[in-house]
Amino acid sequence: MDVLRFLVGGILPYVAAVVFVAAMVYRVYVWRKLPAPSITLFPAPETGGANTMNTIKEVTLFKSLFKGDRLLWAFAWAFHVVLALIFVGHFRVFGNVDSVLMSAGMTEGGIQLMSGGVGGAAGIVILITALFLLIRRFVIPRVREITGIADIFALTLVGLILITGNMMRFGAEHFDLALTREYFANLVTISGVSDAAVLQNNVFLVHFGLALLLIIYIPFSKILHFGGIFFTHPLIRKP
Amino acid sequence: MSDVELKQEDLVTAKKTEQPAPAESKEVMAPEEIKKGVVDAVRAIKDGPRAMRLYMETCVKCGTCASVCPVYYGKPEKRYNPAERTDIIRRIYNKYETTSGRVFGKLAGAEDFDPADIEEWRNIFYECTGCRRCASNCPMGIDHSVITRKGRAILDKLGMTPDTMAKVVQISLETGNTDGAGKEAFLGAIDFLEEEMKDEHGIDIKIPVDAKGAEYFYVPPSGDVLVNPEATMGVAKVFHVLGMADKWTMSSKCFDGANYGLFTGNDGDMKTDNKLYVEEARDLGAKVMLMGECGHAHRIMKMMMEKAGWWGELPFQITNCMQWTAQRVKNNELQFDKSKNPQPVTYHDPCNFGRSCGITEEPRAILNAACADFREMTPNRSDNWCCGGGGGLSAMDDIIDFRMKVSGVKKMEQIRATGATYVATACSNCKRQLTQMMEHHKADITVGGVHDMLSRAILINGKAAEREDYM
Repeated sequence: MDVLRFLVGGILPYVAAVVFVAAMVYRVYVWRKLPAPSITLFPAPETGGANTMNTIKEVTLFKSLFKGDRLLWAFAWAFHVVLALIFVGHFRVFGNVDSVLMSAGMTEGGIQLMSGGVGGAAGIVILITALFLLIRRFVIPRVREITGIADIFALTLVGLILITGNMMRFGAEHFDLALTREYFANLVTISGVSDAAVLQNNVFLVHFGLALLLIIYIPFSKILHFGGIFFTHPLIRKP
Repeated sequence: MSDVELKQEDLVTAKKTEQPAPAESKEVMAPEEIKKGVVDAVRAIKDGPRAMRLYMETCVKCGTCASVCPVYYGKPEKRYNPAERTDIIRRIYNKYETTSGRVFGKLAGAEDFDPADIEEWRNIFYECTGCRRCASNCPMGIDHSVITRKGRAILDKLGMTPDTMAKVVQISLETGNTDGAGKEAFLGAIDFLEEEMKDEHGIDIKIPVDAKGAEYFYVPPSGDVLVNPEATMGVAKVFHVLGMADKWTMSSKCFDGANYGLFTGNDGDMKTDNKLYVEEARDLGAKVMLMGECGHAHRIMKMMMEKAGWWGELPFQITNCMQWTAQRVKNNELQFDKSKNPQPVTYHDPCNFGRSCGITEEPRAILNAACADFREMTPNRSDNWCCGGGGGLSAMDDIIDFRMKVSGVKKMEQIRATGATYVATACSNCKRQLTQMMEHHKADITVGGVHDMLSRAILINGKAAEREDYM
């Protein structure tokens, strides 16, 4: 068991970081160098700047999906926005950003309220939206017939990470913020983490391990869409 | 359809003599040979074009494309789901070109190509109209028509383009037009049109042919000369009214902008066909190539040939006859008697004009000026539904059942909802599909062009055409 804890807590983070960065850099490099003849779709922006603005709208507001499928848009957009929120929120777990927040005028109580209130709500909302995304894969024929194992796997993986995350907030095995920050500090400075106390928390171990697997999985799966979207939209709207 | 995968070498290899003989003597290919052809072509996607490779890697299978697809609307079956069609190619790509596919196989959506499937490919890749409505609505910006065209290109390289389609390309490369008409037939048609106009207006209205040095070179689809000639009369009348009757010309060699290389996925054929027209424009010394009411022809000239510079610097501009006329309407240079077109008229945006060229307001300006009761169908412009005959399908009578009962269903509902008795559209493919659909549904709705309506209402010396036999 200790070997597993060491592998997940001491080795996997570095593997994940290297694989993710290398694979994504490679992807972007390949995409950029491939020839891109014009396949403009109208209405098209008239300048390169407007095209970039359009891509930003697509990435942040899911503009095309809003037009194409309003219900999916509502859930998918909520899912991704909350996901981004949760991602940002994790910086408070990785490191001590409280002092930064306080110097920006937030009180200790305010930070707690934001973490517990907004963070807690986010954990619930994203679970609901993820569940919706999963259910529609089985219920709507046009989605069911194109759903593969990889689609279910991706959602399940994300779902498990969300559930274990929520368990640490709402469940009995609440994680220790100070210990976690200490662990990440050692991880980043490569100062040895094999004896980190936080790794004894089973829920944390599962949550963290699956998150690392997800990070490794991204460049090799449909989740690559988070990078591809920056390239596909400018292509069809090239002025 | 899309112009991804244009390569210079295609040009060199694409001589019409090297075309696989379509209708006659098709040799049966060995399964291994078919498999090699398909797999090699799919693997080549890793080297681009960029769109194609991204489409292999970024689809999230959300199903939005299916909900906006005219074919899937007509019959919601898996085989008509755009994401599924693209996945046919993607599964092979995953099998050979992705780490996850090589390691995890089917679990990662990877599957080898089975040569027995090739006959089904010949159907499936001709069940997408290439209308690009999916691309307008896809959250990932995936244009499935790019993959449809890739599938067709693979078939074409194997000599397996459906016979009806292959025949049109062959005729076009042999005669310069998709109807296979010779110079005599063209000149005969032009004479006929001049006589018609004389009957209508009692004066001579010229259609100049092969006039060197004319400023404008008009390139309609051959259908607008031989099948639905009113549009060409409309253009002639505009030039006449503006006192520019000697400033334009048609060509007895190049009177069909239609170019089916776009539809078969064969870039070599597309360029061979296109080059003929560009050279003719150069020979004539035209300053403006005035494209007719033909969406894909305009798209190939303006959005593909000109943008990518296939033939270097062009000594002429490319514009569409609807843009040109609409500008004259706007300038109040043309007058109309709207009472000549009293019936409710609607406009069907051809996908290639609406979504692929951004020409949506000009036909409306002309129709609004020439018709008493113009009505929009909903949705319209770049959101318009395909007629069901796009991507060259309209020329394939062997799949007319599919076109009438599947791909055209939505369009028929849309047209009916307007209450219009005349559907104007600016594309020979749309016109053919829509005309057949009205016959199929025994609907009392006429299908025609934009300049057709102009031709009926435009005032020449203060008078519109005198005719009884319209509508």
